Amino acid sequence: MVDYQAKKEFLASFLASKEIILGGCLAIILAASFLILPWLLKGDPYQTSLNIFTPPNKEYLLGTNDVGQDILAGLLLGGQNSLKVAVGVGILSTCLAVGFGVLAALVGGRLDTFIMRMIDIILVIPNIFIIILVSAYLKPSLGLEIILISLLTWLGGARVIRAQVLSLKERTHVYAAILFGANLAYIFFRHILPELIPLVLSIFLQGARRAIFMEAALGFLGIVDPNVISWGTMINQSLNFFYLDVWRWWLLPTAGALSLSLISLTLIGRGLEETFISNSERRSKIATDQ
Amino acid sequence: MLQINNYHLSYGKKKVLRGIDLVVNKGETLALVGESGAGKTSLGLSIGGLIGRESEPANQAKVQTQGQIIFQGKDILHLSAEELQELRWSKISFVFQNVSNTLNPVLTIWEQVSEPYSSHHLGTRRQAREQARIMLDKVAFPSAKINHYPHQLSGGELQRALIAMALINKPEVLILDEPTASLDPITRQELVQLLSRITKDCAVLLITHDLSVASALSKRTAVLYKGKILEEGPTDKVLQTPHHPYMRALLRSYPHMHSSKDIQSINLNLKEPAEGCVFFPRCTQALPICQTTAPPVLEFKLTVLSANAKEELDFFGQNGSSKVACHRGGIVPYLVVHRLSKSYGPEFSLREVSFMVFEGETVALVGQSGSGKSTIAKLIMGLEKPDQGNILYEEQKTPFPRSQEFLQKVQLIFQNPYDAVSPRLTIKEIIQEPLLIQKIGTQEEKNAKAIQALADVGLPTEDRFLHSYPSSLSGGELQRVAIARALILEPKLLIADEPTSALDALVQAKIIKLLMGLQEQRGLGMLFITHDIALARKIADRILVIQNGEIVEQGLAWEVTSNPKHPFTKQLLAAASVF
Repeated sequence: MVDYQAKKEFLASFLASKEIILGGCLAIILAASFLILPWLLKGDPYQTSLNIFTPPNKEYLLGTNDVGQDILAGLLLGGQNSLKVAVGVGILSTCLAVGFGVLAALVGGRLDTFIMRMIDIILVIPNIFIIILVSAYLKPSLGLEIILISLLTWLGGARVIRAQVLSLKERTHVYAAILFGANLAYIFFRHILPELIPLVLSIFLQGARRAIFMEAALGFLGIVDPNVISWGTMINQSLNFFYLDVWRWWLLPTAGALSLSLISLTLIGRGLEETFISNSERRSKIATDQ
Repeated sequence: MLQINNYHLSYGKKKVLRGIDLVVNKGETLALVGESGAGKTSLGLSIGGLIGRESEPANQAKVQTQGQIIFQGKDILHLSAEELQELRWSKISFVFQNVSNTLNPVLTIWEQVSEPYSSHHLGTRRQAREQARIMLDKVAFPSAKINHYPHQLSGGELQRALIAMALINKPEVLILDEPTASLDPITRQELVQLLSRITKDCAVLLITHDLSVASALSKRTAVLYKGKILEEGPTDKVLQTPHHPYMRALLRSYPHMHSSKDIQSINLNLKEPAEGCVFFPRCTQALPICQTTAPPVLEFKLTVLSANAKEELDFFGQNGSSKVACHRGGIVPYLVVHRLSKSYGPEFSLREVSFMVFEGETVALVGQSGSGKSTIAKLIMGLEKPDQGNILYEEQKTPFPRSQEFLQKVQLIFQNPYDAVSPRLTIKEIIQEPLLIQKIGTQEEKNAKAIQALADVGLPTEDRFLHSYPSSLSGGELQRVAIARALILEPKLLIADEPTSALDALVQAKIIKLLMGLQEQRGLGMLFITHDIALARKIADRILVIQNGEIVEQGLAWEVTSNPKHPFTKQLLAAASVF
């Protein structure tokens, strides 16, 4: 018989946060529509036609662009790509952050100094500068883009993780485990990783958010693989025809989708943060009350 | 004067004495202490030839003896009845316990006391009476009651009469068998003073369970347990720093004014050992050999010393001054901290800290916060490396980093129980963690051990509790969980770093009682780190006072707290809780 009560309460505390509910719903709706709608609508975003600048109608729900491509289909594919980048960068940069952060903190010594100085060096070079340079040479595909953005976004996370592990390492129960003869791997998996989960989640969300934004920016600047449909490129192209009415169904929905995606991730992030803080406060309050 | 060599005595199958070796010299008092049933009186009676003599026909069937009791070159066990008659009450006299039964109820005190004189034909009846009167005066027997009968007298008066009777023929050997039992403290004190005054010329064997009498009358003390002498040495040392666990237990259970620690008992396992050490069933530091082979009588020796050899030997007893019957050579020094130094820059350093913690002993390390108490704990546990000095566990140097074996035997209990356990693990997971790390036992064994450990610290053992999380427990309960976790590896030494300072007094009392009980059962050595000298006084055998990284005073707990020498100790005592 395990005490499920505590776990139930833990889950319930997340559902009590309005931000998490709102952001979560938004994210689910967006992701679901990016993944499911292309199946239902069967529009081809690459297919050009003679119906240029068509306003929304039954065939083209969001009309067409300057070369007669279906804007909605483009929007959805752009969304899929953003989702891929978000998840990809989220996972990759979180892994890098946790890996280097934990290594630096647990092993310490020269390795710690080396990792931290490396992070400092990368941090002082402006991100966009590196990206533009690299992209200009490579015209990166989606996969390369994920790697590139990840390499630039894990740094802050690693610092935070390191700081947290350094403080967790000093907790008495970790010392107790060391004094029972535990090795570093045991300490990490049993005592440190579980405590890092809130932080890992928020680093993941932050990475994902920054990835979506950065991916759009790169597209806007036109320094990605031109065959990849991205919200950034769509926004850039639509601005060229700002003098026409077309911006209403070309620019607005795209910019709206981008904004909603960012808002949903921000909301979830904030909600989680507050819930974790209040959970840990409550825990320490219970402890001190007794 | 009186020499006992390898004397064995058994009543049928029951062994009463198992090889006693004792020498009592003229003018010396040897105290033979031990609990009732140890064989003290049997030894006294044997010396008087009252039991165990081979020519005693009535006893032959039941009583077997072996060895010698030599007095004036003759073995008492081989003397004839007449020769013995000659010796008794003239050369060897007795003062027995149970005063009211010893005197003849139809004789007056005067007649009674003069009887040994006249029956040994030392003079006329008048001389006998005269001698008796002198003797009775000497023992301060009230002269007005000299013609009273025994039933008219008080216990103290009867005892005086008995002493007069024992001494009237100026014996060379005097056996005092519980001379002050059942007397009130003031009468007892008068009698003790009397005895110490008038027994100077005899060889006295003082049989007693009363350690204060032993202390007042004797220079040497031997400890008898189940017919075996376990320790023999100078009385002041035996009663201050005993070397045999049994003597220490005897001392701890005896309430006296020179102890501030609560009385403590010992394992109550009275099973008769067939062979091996008589104390084995109750011993907490026994080795496998103790069960099979009787221990040799060894000279006590401190093979490792923590610092200043002279001071330490003065305190614990000179090497060779005492004899201990123990395979381990007496109580083992579990922890020896030898001139430990550690510097943290110019602001703070630990300077040449030296001390020992023996098996089953509580040593309190008392000092202000920031004085280096916790640093010492960390250095012992190997969380930090000392700049200089050694830490020895069971007389072996400890490697750095510490071996897994060391980490099993030595456990640390932390100050803050809320932080000492992971909030994400269940109670069961927390308690089993050391077993998991050390890879001990199957899951069933782990479960059984966890339940045993919880029961040992007085916590519930139901599943509901095992699967709950620390957040649902109080501080006292959590500290018990932490203690249970530390005990699951069956450590021999506990370093307790302020284990109760985060708890209120009631909970603290419970935890302290728990720790003391565990010490009693398992012989845990304990280094108890605290800032509370009042608490240290109640739980510790010895106290170390530390100030700014230096031990400024150390000694027996009562001595440090009642006669502080160092100004800082005085300051600590002045600031201690009083109301």
